[in-house]
Amino acid sequence: MTEPGHATTHDASHDMRVKAYFAVFIALSVFTLVSFIANYGVRQGWLGVETSFVIILGVAIIKAFLVGLIFMHLNFDWGRVYFIIVPISILGVMMMIVLMPDIVMAWQPSQEPLEPPVSVTGTR
Amino acid sequence: MTQVVFDKPQEHMGLPLPTPKVAMWLFLVTEIMFFTALIGTYLILRNGTPHNSMHKWPTPHQVHLNELLGAINTFVLICSSFTVVLAHHAAVKGNMRNVTLYIAITLALGAVFLIIKGFEYNAKYQHDIIPGHVGESLPPDPEKMRASKDASLQNLLNIEREKHEHPAGMQYFHRVHEQLSSITESSVDSGLKEECAALLRDMDRAPSQEQDAKEQSYQRPLNPSEVGARVNEILEHAEKKNVELHLTPAIPFGNLWASCYFALTGFHALHVFGGIVIFAIILFMAAVGRLGPQNATMLEMTGLYWHFVDIVWIFLFPLLYLV
Repeated sequence: MTEPGHATTHDASHDMRVKAYFAVFIALSVFTLVSFIANYGVRQGWLGVETSFVIILGVAIIKAFLVGLIFMHLNFDWGRVYFIIVPISILGVMMMIVLMPDIVMAWQPSQEPLEPPVSVTGTR
Repeated sequence: MTQVVFDKPQEHMGLPLPTPKVAMWLFLVTEIMFFTALIGTYLILRNGTPHNSMHKWPTPHQVHLNELLGAINTFVLICSSFTVVLAHHAAVKGNMRNVTLYIAITLALGAVFLIIKGFEYNAKYQHDIIPGHVGESLPPDPEKMRASKDASLQNLLNIEREKHEHPAGMQYFHRVHEQLSSITESSVDSGLKEECAALLRDMDRAPSQEQDAKEQSYQRPLNPSEVGARVNEILEHAEKKNVELHLTPAIPFGNLWASCYFALTGFHALHVFGGIVIFAIILFMAAVGRLGPQNATMLEMTGLYWHFVDIVWIFLFPLLYLV
């Protein structure tokens, strides 16, 4: 039979979890509103594009972390699944980075005027 | 016969995690790779477009994306993530009635998400912003072209070169011609009939016989670029008058944008649909009395999948609708 003290602790722990879920739900809703307002600010002209970009991207990352940590229980399971998630995350980011130089940067014209090629022959 | 007894304590092989959870996380990392590939492709294509050209990646307004609808869908998925986690919590506590209630709400929220997505897709269809339909591959502003001293720019789109180098431009020309014909023949007067008829007349004018010394060809009275500019003007007037016209706009990189949009949101919507099917199965199990506290692990796995679908949308929403 379960001891009364143990049952109370167990219930309290469950209640704490529900409170944490509710807090995350509120935080996610507020963050969605923040990113929407940041975008609205750019349209109205009282927020710079770069600032808005940083806010919106930052908010998305924080939201993903909150869902992962609390809703997906990674705050408990991280130590047991990190070796599955970390390599994939590194590979995913690498996949994008390796394509950047050829596809993204190559298309952007240089800001500096191009120097004419220097002849390396016939100098003697 | 003597029996050998091993006193060595039992060793647990593998991870200190339930097998279904390991399997689910392995499945989720394949999904992470799948969506990283899709989102990465989108980012690379988008950032690969020239930054200092007059033709830039389409803005949400140009492609008729409604940020408010996107934000509502984000909120809907957040609510559904919350109800799923509450369903799992109720299952752990053995309160199966609440489990059924929360799962039913989650299923309904998933359906709301797909319905809103359906409205968005319908708007894309109405504006003909569909891969391969949008007018693009367009040369610079026609007025700038005419003013240009560069002869190669002025002759950029004679018919011979169009056939070989700009088949998309020709297809756009014919598509708009058909749409204008049906608008002008329609009995419904949108108040823009005359403007559409004028463009149609200009498109049907006999081609000018200006000889091109190099290619011995003639030029259209209006090239696809000029048609695109005129169509966009008509669509602007239609928007001011609040009239819906089924006329394909000209949007630089519009086809590429549409392909990315439908690939990203389409695959995500398929995942949402998959989740809805699983929720329907859970509700069926509850209806026939086969859902009990023993299914808590299954509910947790379903929740993990659903939260992942939510996380993907958390990134898709700003990338497509905001930034």
